[in-house]
Amino acid sequence: MQVEVQLTYAPIPSEVPPPAPATGAGAWVEFRGLVRSQENGRAITALEYEAYEPMAEREVRRLLNELGARYGCLAARVIHRIGVVPVGQAALYVGIAAEHRAEAFKLLTEFMDRLKQDVPIWKRRAIPAAEIGGVSPHPWVGVSMPGVDRGPGEPARPADVLGLLRRLCGQLEAERLPLAQAIGRVLREPVCAPEDLPPFDRAAVDGYAVRLDDPSTEFRVVDVIRAGAWQPRKLDRGEAVRIATGAALPCEGLQVLMKEDVQTTGDTIRVNRRTADRNIRTRGEDARAGQRLVEPGSVVTPGVAALLAGLGRVEVWVTRLPRVRHIATGNEIVPPAQAPAPGQIRDSNSILVRAFLGQWGIVPQQTLLGDDDAALRAALRNLEPGLDLLLISGGASVGEQDFTRRLLDEAGFVVHVSKTAARPGRPLIVAQRGSTLAFGLPGNPLAHLVCLNVYVRAALQAWSGSTASDDFHRGVLAGELATDRSQQETFWPARSDCAEGTWMLRPLPWRSSGDLTVLARANALIRVPTGAHRFVPGSWVEFVPARPAL
Amino acid sequence: MRVLFFAHLRDVTGCAEMQLHCAGADAAELWRRLIAAYPGLEKYRDSVRLAQNAEYAAPDARFDNADEVALIPPVSGG
Repeated sequence: MQVEVQLTYAPIPSEVPPPAPATGAGAWVEFRGLVRSQENGRAITALEYEAYEPMAEREVRRLLNELGARYGCLAARVIHRIGVVPVGQAALYVGIAAEHRAEAFKLLTEFMDRLKQDVPIWKRRAIPAAEIGGVSPHPWVGVSMPGVDRGPGEPARPADVLGLLRRLCGQLEAERLPLAQAIGRVLREPVCAPEDLPPFDRAAVDGYAVRLDDPSTEFRVVDVIRAGAWQPRKLDRGEAVRIATGAALPCEGLQVLMKEDVQTTGDTIRVNRRTADRNIRTRGEDARAGQRLVEPGSVVTPGVAALLAGLGRVEVWVTRLPRVRHIATGNEIVPPAQAPAPGQIRDSNSILVRAFLGQWGIVPQQTLLGDDDAALRAALRNLEPGLDLLLISGGASVGEQDFTRRLLDEAGFVVHVSKTAARPGRPLIVAQRGSTLAFGLPGNPLAHLVCLNVYVRAALQAWSGSTASDDFHRGVLAGELATDRSQQETFWPARSDCAEGTWMLRPLPWRSSGDLTVLARANALIRVPTGAHRFVPGSWVEFVPARPAL
Repeated sequence: MRVLFFAHLRDVTGCAEMQLHCAGADAAELWRRLIAAYPGLEKYRDSVRLAQNAEYAAPDARFDNADEVALIPPVSGG
């Protein structure tokens, strides 16, 4: 059974698209569990849910797979909201697709019973009617999800293709990884401070700790505390402890005199200058025990990794990487190491795909095939189980050597998009079979660069569960941009540089989507909307950074 | 090992997690150590299930220092 599970702090959309099993769905049963206005006889405004997120997701998945096999259902999607859920809003969404309604209803009923027994999610507290602060008074309006179909043969607009991809690519499962392997992945659990940070009062400077209430000008040094040492003791009037930066203070109610402000003679110090500054980093000033420091959906950056290491978190739950197969096709292409015969060219797309995916740490399985029906058909038949993404380069152009679409269709893929309304990359195919998403990428190098950075990137982002904004960036044109084909949306290759906080974009000359040299210079794609044909320097434009943005 | 507390158990322990060293311990030993650290957990013992690396632990499970252990009180999702 095709299963998609999501735990979210955001409202559940008012319309959730049905999962699209490969074949045979005759029933689609949906259930929403709403927060009622009464909890144990008391009027409430909201419930707060808490979850052991990685386990909750796994348990839901395990339950659905078990029940799906028992009742013979085809697909399921479950969304459980956590955090504060206002009255009247959905805390749970379950959608089940099956051949007939009976199986779907049975699965739903049993799933709800088992959810309430086994899935580690708790109603943490009911927020009484009096306490309305913190709950948004605005009812959340669900995002409508426009379809992509614009009639048979109609090209799909890029914005619609992106919407479709976000719909098709639910967040992938979480896995627990050693910290060093988790860098760059998306966190699937909140990171909380297990204790106060810093966990004890410590000296902010090298100097001498004395009692704050001791006005003496001469002190006897009774102890030395180095960083890392733990030497609790009381201090009497006239006593000081020599202490290093970062070392734990011996007791409360102290002040650290900077060593520059005292004069030392043997075991005695004389204070030359005393300010009001205590020079102490107090316990919990960085974070209090239990405080949420990093939210699920954040990327494990070097800084987040450093924080996790500092908290002793050597393993973390992150989204797994998608499993990717790339097939390059075309009789005209030869491996780069081989001298092309007249009429042939070297394959530059395979390394482009590999390098692009490498930015997410994804290593694709790659194959190079000719325009050979039988070979591609066999490759599609032998796709590895559990494959998430299939990329096919070449053969996407409708008309001449088009066979990707036909063979995907034959292999049981549902073709959602077979042409886009933007160039380069018009002959793009987006198809799906079960939980495998397939792209037919037009073989031209520039079209490849565009389709990878605009469409494939959107799928990877959606799978990762990252909450980072995926919008287009805005920048200023540093040169004139004129197009002779204003009736088509265009992704124009450009060189971007950041100057004084503003992205400056220099459009690069290109003639066709077959251009290769422009790939080496382009690090951005300017979106030229339909109807626009000339932008003067200084105009604001939208762009997608072609990764890595250097 | 990292031990996680959820729901009302957090109110009992006053924290969301703790570090515990007890390699090779079985569930009984683990409970003994947890109750020693937080005596208030004792009365919840019968209603709480243990999870090991995000799965319910088998009755004869052995716990290791690399494990993530969670105390799962009766759930109330949906």
